[in-house]
Amino acid sequence: MHIPDGFLSPPVWVTFDALAVPAIGVMARRAHRDVEDRQIPLLGVMGAFVFAAQMINFPVGAGTSGHLVGGALLAIVLGPWAAALVMTAILAMQAFLFQDGGILALGTNICNMAIVGVFAGYLPYFLWGRGSSRAGRSASIFAGGALSVLVSAALALSQLLISGVPMPRRLLLISMAVFLASALIEGAITLAAIRAIERLNPLWVRPPAERSSPAVAWGVAAAMILGAALAVAGVLLASTSPDGIEHILATHGVIEPSWVRRALASLAGISGAFAVCVMVGKMLARRQRAVIPTAKQMRAGSA
Amino acid sequence: MHHALAVDRWSRGASPLHARDARAKLAAALVLLVAVSTTRPGAHIAFGLYAALIVTAAALARLPIAALARRAALVLPFSATFAAITWWSGDPARALALAEKSLLCGFAALLLIATTPVNDLLRALEWLAVPRPLILVTQFLYRYLFVISEQAQHMYLAAQCRRGNSAQRSRFSARFSAAGGALGVLFARSWERADGIYRAMLARGFNGHFSRLAPLRFSAADAAFVFLAASVSIGIRFAV
Repeated sequence: MHIPDGFLSPPVWVTFDALAVPAIGVMARRAHRDVEDRQIPLLGVMGAFVFAAQMINFPVGAGTSGHLVGGALLAIVLGPWAAALVMTAILAMQAFLFQDGGILALGTNICNMAIVGVFAGYLPYFLWGRGSSRAGRSASIFAGGALSVLVSAALALSQLLISGVPMPRRLLLISMAVFLASALIEGAITLAAIRAIERLNPLWVRPPAERSSPAVAWGVAAAMILGAALAVAGVLLASTSPDGIEHILATHGVIEPSWVRRALASLAGISGAFAVCVMVGKMLARRQRAVIPTAKQMRAGSA
Repeated sequence: MHHALAVDRWSRGASPLHARDARAKLAAALVLLVAVSTTRPGAHIAFGLYAALIVTAAALARLPIAALARRAALVLPFSATFAAITWWSGDPARALALAEKSLLCGFAALLLIATTPVNDLLRALEWLAVPRPLILVTQFLYRYLFVISEQAQHMYLAAQCRRGNSAQRSRFSARFSAAGGALGVLFARSWERADGIYRAMLARGFNGHFSRLAPLRFSAADAAFVFLAASVSIGIRFAV
């Protein structure tokens, strides 16, 4: 579910944009550690593959068809950090080129689908994928696909609820059921695709990362905690205050009721957050400027 | 994919707006987006003025406005659903604002990409300190998007030719695993293509980044453009 611009309230999208910026920096570094140099084109082509794979329709019964979303598949094939990077590139492309998801909401969509979605999709494979039993491994791949869609959708829903988009209880239940169905479909598609890929070349599917790998464990833990906290906050907010975060801020006098002051405050907050993002980004970029070796460095290294 | 092709063609046009630096257009678009998304619900005049601003800019860029509007309206099914729910739960002002804001933001984003080639936009983002691996991956993604999609279309056509009319009769699970097989083959072809790409690029002296034909240049006209666009957006935001 790509959230367009205009749906989220400024505190929500500013928060998630601010979260996404350092996360992208970390993921770029980790991804580059995980994959070899020659795989940078591979990551781009894999992104194009996920785009193109959406043209392949899977029958899901009742005359309808579903298609691959891809977070879990990419995580199992490329490792979670590289998969998160590819998903980020896909989401950016969708936002800028296809207006699928907003530009201000891009950070939110990245947090939902490229970070939490990918790591949630990797979690079952990471925990149970290394067992020798074929059924257990298949189950973990299926669960990964399902979990990635379910968690991203639940996050998006809670962000909309926090932003004050009203959602009657009955409708909430219906959308939960729809999410569950699409999660099961994604699980089945991920499993079918991984099986087909393994049949062609077993080396294309990565074995799960070592359980001792702290980076993956931290990523999984952080994603899970963020996801759980948000889902709980969303449900709580939705049940206590139908107007969302702005209502709560207004009733507690955090923001002056005068709309001019409120707008000024929010604009100042946004530009401040943006400045912080740019500073953090510049710092991260400086630290990793040498990540991709130039030809000169390569020659120096081999000499 | 047709959409991406049309946008790609538009973005290579020649107009005062196309000539502006990508960073200037990105900044102007961000200010406009922030202004639109923080406008209070019910300020229909403000939303109308934003629309007028965007349409004027599109006319300046000599873009087909009707086609542009049709593309921007693609966001409507999603936002109209939520708008209907909001209306139904007794908040018509917010419902209208949802539809207006998402439509205007989609239109503004489309205008940005229809006047800025993707590679220039990525260079602007790189200047904004987006990590280089992400920029590289996105560049490769855009470059091979059309190639791999074409491949998927060929495979789809070939499967239709082989299968004929039997698809409706074959068993559900067989159809499902056939689609899985198609996905696997598409994956294999993409993987092998990526290997070939890397070898070819090394042979041509690829050194970790794409070289540019022309450097980014931020001129006085770009500064004036950002100032004008930002002050009009902010003016609408606060005056109405």
